[in-house]
Amino acid sequence: MIAKKVLLVGSFGVGKTSLVRRFVLNEFSEDYISTIGVRVSSKVVELDENEIKLMIWDVAGTSKDEKVPKAYFLGASAAMYVFDLSREETYINLSEDLEAIKQLSGLENIVVVGNKKDLLSEEALQELKSTFAVPVNLITSAKENANVEDAFLLLSKQALSK
Amino acid sequence: MEQTTVNNDKNNRFEVLKELLLTDDREEFHRLREKFLESNKKFNSKVSPVVDKKIDELKSSFPEDFGDVITETIKVQIRESQDEVVEALYPILGRLVKKFIIAEITKLTDNINDTINNKFSFNQLIKRLFKDNTNDAKEVLQEVFEAEIEEVFVIGKQTGLLIGSYSRGNIADKDMVSGMLTAIKSFAEDAFSKEGQDLEDIKFETFQLSMANYNSIYIAVATSGVITPAFKEELSEGLNTLAENIFWKREILENEIKLNELIEKILIEKE
Repeated sequence: MIAKKVLLVGSFGVGKTSLVRRFVLNEFSEDYISTIGVRVSSKVVELDENEIKLMIWDVAGTSKDEKVPKAYFLGASAAMYVFDLSREETYINLSEDLEAIKQLSGLENIVVVGNKKDLLSEEALQELKSTFAVPVNLITSAKENANVEDAFLLLSKQALSK
Repeated sequence: MEQTTVNNDKNNRFEVLKELLLTDDREEFHRLREKFLESNKKFNSKVSPVVDKKIDELKSSFPEDFGDVITETIKVQIRESQDEVVEALYPILGRLVKKFIIAEITKLTDNINDTINNKFSFNQLIKRLFKDNTNDAKEVLQEVFEAEIEEVFVIGKQTGLLIGSYSRGNIADKDMVSGMLTAIKSFAEDAFSKEGQDLEDIKFETFQLSMANYNSIYIAVATSGVITPAFKEELSEGLNTLAENIFWKREILENEIKLNELIEKILIEKE
């Protein structure tokens, strides 16, 4: 079986851990537990008749955060940047954040995901989509289990292609 | 004799009179009895299935319907009769703890006796004439709590991916352990060390985790017991031999089963 290290990055409280919990355990918790630096989970996914073991490094905070060891970003085959659709401060510096992650990890493409769509009306969501500085790959909701699987499959595809 | 005949006549007359007066009542009684039995039968045939069904439903839904109430009741009962519970459990627990301690002390005594007997053998007495400054107590402890390799992980240095392993116990998710270990290692190196230095040891209670760092991989070994300089030296040598073998045939990094066999051959069978 092929094993790949993938990263999940983004500001505090955007729902990275909730996405991993939903994807790995199919659970959702309203409780907010701040990850201490990083939390590693594993999940086997099937993609184009290949079985891939994803080692998901759920990194707390953003790459710009000096407290995050740079070594966490090394050796990753793909990365997912998660932001909170309901909090502007989590996506206002999207381009800069993505560039920083690219430099640290050496990755060329990063999956960009806007989470917590359950907190926005359809109208507000459509309006918001047009304002993003970079293309957003998927809009998800860990709470409602919307597009979570798709987001990780896209991440697996990128990991496999590297 | 005459008296008896008169009595018999009286009885007969009374019986006849009873028959005449109660015939209707008896018929009514029999009719009612039949009616009651009939309706009882009908009632049973209608009600019994419903009752049986309800009982079955109750059986299956009992834990859900009454579980919380019962749990709460038991909790309250235990809380209110804590002293009684402690008193009831104390002798049982006491006996168990006593039994365990006696067994462990017996084991320890046997080990110490064996070691002391060995120490005072002729060969050992000769050896003692030429030994260094190590004291006897230390030597005895080292022999009783001999160091053992519990786990070995060969891990990708940057990726944290598990490449090969050996486990004496049964670690549930070795991949996650490898990932987290790599994260902890990266964190410690980032926080405390100068550039280019690697974390080499983590100690926790009776375990020690030693890490041998190479260019693209690191090997983490969890050991239990008293680690002597001799054991450390031997382990370090074993790890270097393992690394040499891996780098000599790098394709083994792609074959987990073969790598696991190699780990066992070099580090475990040698023990």
